[in-house]
Amino acid sequence: MASLKAFIIARVLALIPTVLILITLVFFVMRVLPGDPVIAIVGMKAPPERVIELKKELGLMDEAGNPIPLPIQYLNYLSKLARGDFGRSLIWGKRPVLVEIMEHFPATVELAIAGFIVSIILGLLLGSLGGWMGGKTSSAVKTYGAITYALFIPWIGMLLQLFFAVWLGILPVAGRIDTGLEPPTITGLYLIDSVITGRWDSFISALRHITLPALTLGLVISGVFTRVTRTSVEEVMRQDFVVAARARGIPEHKILLHVLKNSFVPILTMMGLQLALLMTGAVLTETTFSWPGMGTFLLERIQYRDYTTVQGTVVFFAIIVSLVNLIVDICYAYIDPRIRY
Amino acid sequence: MADPLLNIKNLKTYYFTESGIVKAVDDVTLGIRRGELLGLVGESGSGKSTLGLSIIRLIPPPGKIIDGSVLLDNIDLMSISEKELRRIRGRRIGMIFQDPLTCLDPLRRIEDQMVETVMVHMDVERDEAREMAAKALERVGISGDRLKDYPHQLSGGMRQRAMIAMATMLHPELLIADEPTTALDVIVQSRIMDLLEDLKESMKMSILLITHDLALVIERADRVAVMYAGELCEVGTSEQISQDPLHPYTKLLLESIPDVEAPKTKLKSIPGNPPDMRNPPSGCRFWPRCPYAKDICKQTPPKFAELNGRIVRCHLYGGGKS
Amino acid sequence: MVATYTFRPLLVKLVPKVRLKGLTLAGTIMVLFTVFLAILAPILTPYDPTKSVDLSLQPPSWKHPFGTNKVGQDMWSRTVYGARTILAVVFLSTIVSIVIGVPLGLVSGYVGGILDRVLAMIMDAMYAFPGLILAIAIAAALGPGIINTAVSIAIVYVPTYFRMVRAQTLSIKEQLYVEAARAIGAKPLTILTRYVFPNVVSVIAVVFTLSVADVVLTEAALSFFGLSVPAPTPDWGFDLKAGHPYLLSGYWWLITFPGLMIMILAVGFTFIGEGVAEYLGAREVKI
Repeated sequence: MASLKAFIIARVLALIPTVLILITLVFFVMRVLPGDPVIAIVGMKAPPERVIELKKELGLMDEAGNPIPLPIQYLNYLSKLARGDFGRSLIWGKRPVLVEIMEHFPATVELAIAGFIVSIILGLLLGSLGGWMGGKTSSAVKTYGAITYALFIPWIGMLLQLFFAVWLGILPVAGRIDTGLEPPTITGLYLIDSVITGRWDSFISALRHITLPALTLGLVISGVFTRVTRTSVEEVMRQDFVVAARARGIPEHKILLHVLKNSFVPILTMMGLQLALLMTGAVLTETTFSWPGMGTFLLERIQYRDYTTVQGTVVFFAIIVSLVNLIVDICYAYIDPRIRY
Repeated sequence: MADPLLNIKNLKTYYFTESGIVKAVDDVTLGIRRGELLGLVGESGSGKSTLGLSIIRLIPPPGKIIDGSVLLDNIDLMSISEKELRRIRGRRIGMIFQDPLTCLDPLRRIEDQMVETVMVHMDVERDEAREMAAKALERVGISGDRLKDYPHQLSGGMRQRAMIAMATMLHPELLIADEPTTALDVIVQSRIMDLLEDLKESMKMSILLITHDLALVIERADRVAVMYAGELCEVGTSEQISQDPLHPYTKLLLESIPDVEAPKTKLKSIPGNPPDMRNPPSGCRFWPRCPYAKDICKQTPPKFAELNGRIVRCHLYGGGKS
Repeated sequence: MVATYTFRPLLVKLVPKVRLKGLTLAGTIMVLFTVFLAILAPILTPYDPTKSVDLSLQPPSWKHPFGTNKVGQDMWSRTVYGARTILAVVFLSTIVSIVIGVPLGLVSGYVGGILDRVLAMIMDAMYAFPGLILAIAIAAALGPGIINTAVSIAIVYVPTYFRMVRAQTLSIKEQLYVEAARAIGAKPLTILTRYVFPNVVSVIAVVFTLSVADVVLTEAALSFFGLSVPAPTPDWGFDLKAGHPYLLSGYWWLITFPGLMIMILAVGFTFIGEGVAEYLGAREVKI
């Protein structure tokens, strides 16, 4: 296992430039592109002292009122980030951006996990069914994958809202939990917190609220998982060791398990790559269901032109995505002993 | 036939591809005797591997066994249930393949794959199964502690040994070896063949050796069956085939073996190409490449003829009459 | 993310032979239907999509087949004209992605060295990042408008074109005829334009086919967030968002038709991409 450790260290080191590139990209997108953010925030007719104050807040000017050159702004930003300082919001009490992000992050994690679970169940079931059965089943599963992949999340979400919340009235139309039922914060995930504290009324309410968003997100992501699982299972099924195992009289259900284990490596890699899709999907799902997560937060702050928060949130997304990709890679190495060498 | 173990009768296996039906095995009748090493020789695409897989009904789609029977001690493997057949695969009939690396599950230790096989067939505890696996490995010349290895940690020759250990662990009566040495270098190749012969003797097992290498078969096998375009051409002992080949195809195959004693002689190759199996020639399938082809060969498929205890399928030997 | 450049150059030449059947045929019909709406919009619609023409929130009727929205605009006209907006953005953003991504990929792959490694690293980092979030950030910085939206989306897809073109360039660079051209002293620019680029064209076509459905969905999303074209330009994502508050009152037609059109276009492109991917036999082609 020593080589697994070496692999992890190498991967962690490789993570640093990736994150740095994304931070840099976001920084320059927000600064260099045409349009003056300061004017955009305060408007053309704002008094000059307000403009200067804002420029200081944004790190565009030093305390003496002299403009700071862009490279220095960049380095200042990096050094602040390295200390975990994402800056302060430009609106409403100017709270630290990171604090605000952390308030919204658990909601996104909860939704992403729930959606991920739904999509994995759908994807693995349908995908292995298609791969294992082949023929017409495989084609049907393929079509399912192609259609669900191309669904527009808000539309599917709205149709589900229309059907289950408006017409049938059996599930809430939006939100994360009924007001007043929020469980005490431990992990920030309502479902888990309410189980830990034994608040079953909270649990039921949270579960009812998350059902439609998780279904929407899960359905759309399942398209990719179905496709990956199907092709991967089909590929493994063609390998000689399947025939060899059959030739030893191994029963089909055991072979299926081995096939799935072998298919799992590419599936896992692809799942890691789909994290971007999951995040994208979560942002769209959140805004459709007024889910108080990072996506809703980001878009709300865009409306208010709260640039430090927008920038901080996007950088935060970048860090999270890179970290999860790292974890996926390590799992990959752990499952498949070959890639450690 | 003297003490037959397995009788293949009129076996037909076709592949139903989009571009037509491929008659990969077409009406093959062949017996395998107890304790013999029977070599099955043919070019690639002759259907020899399909024949091997057909015996234990492992033909992948779009292939299908159309007709015929395969009797193992009067049990017809073609008509018993999948469940009954599974008890025979690995237990009474073992099989090894060309590329041992792809035939081993890359993600599981050798041990797990062997123990699983034992426990599927026998009602034993895990420890006992592990012991059997270790013994089987030692029998093929691999130290028992390599059980913990993953397939990629073994060398090519060792992998094939491990495959053989896995296939012979439960003392099968028949081992089907499909090009077992093709992927290996010459020295390893001959050691693997030695091992197979040793196992054959010590376990009193029959081996069906499927290969394109006629020289190997003549050197190692007791009897030889030659296959061309889905059909058997000729069956005989190794001596008969090497000293006195009857079928023109066998003759040509023999001439194309490089002679180590006389390296200067010109190496002959068989003219022409194997036929398009979706649309094989009428009559005898070999006639377009046969130097002795007559008019009858182009029209009527020959039948098997017995000749001094040997069988051959060719019009030159009265194949048309029977 | 470890980059996996595994494109089979030989197979790319077979693209024109993709057979029009099954999913591919269905997809082609769906896309052509949308294009048909966009071209014939003035003939197909009796009303100005940007003007209030009747009472608000009328359910579908003979007069207004898709009903009217809260400001009394005809939803049929808006849905038909919406095809123009989304197709224009998709077209423009593809052009921009190609204009930036392809030359960068060519040069990076051909020149190699540090330039190549730095560019590849940047592009890989961008590629692994959620495209929509990047597009949102850029669109928010740029402000609304067709061109701005197209640019925001284009930047997200530059790495996709870059990676494929670079990989293709790397493999073509090793071909004998390129070696020969270099040996007789052809200039790098000549080699790139005369020998490498023609071989890259099919790659561009493939990348386009496989990524265009995502571009459609990204445009719909930006438009849904109000970051695309300004009102009252008809745009499906925007109309979907505008109809959302009325869902609770059961005004189903406001969201049904714009969403349906987004789905038809995106699924249509996906089906075509599926056919192409299948033909390439390219499980390796990851977009």
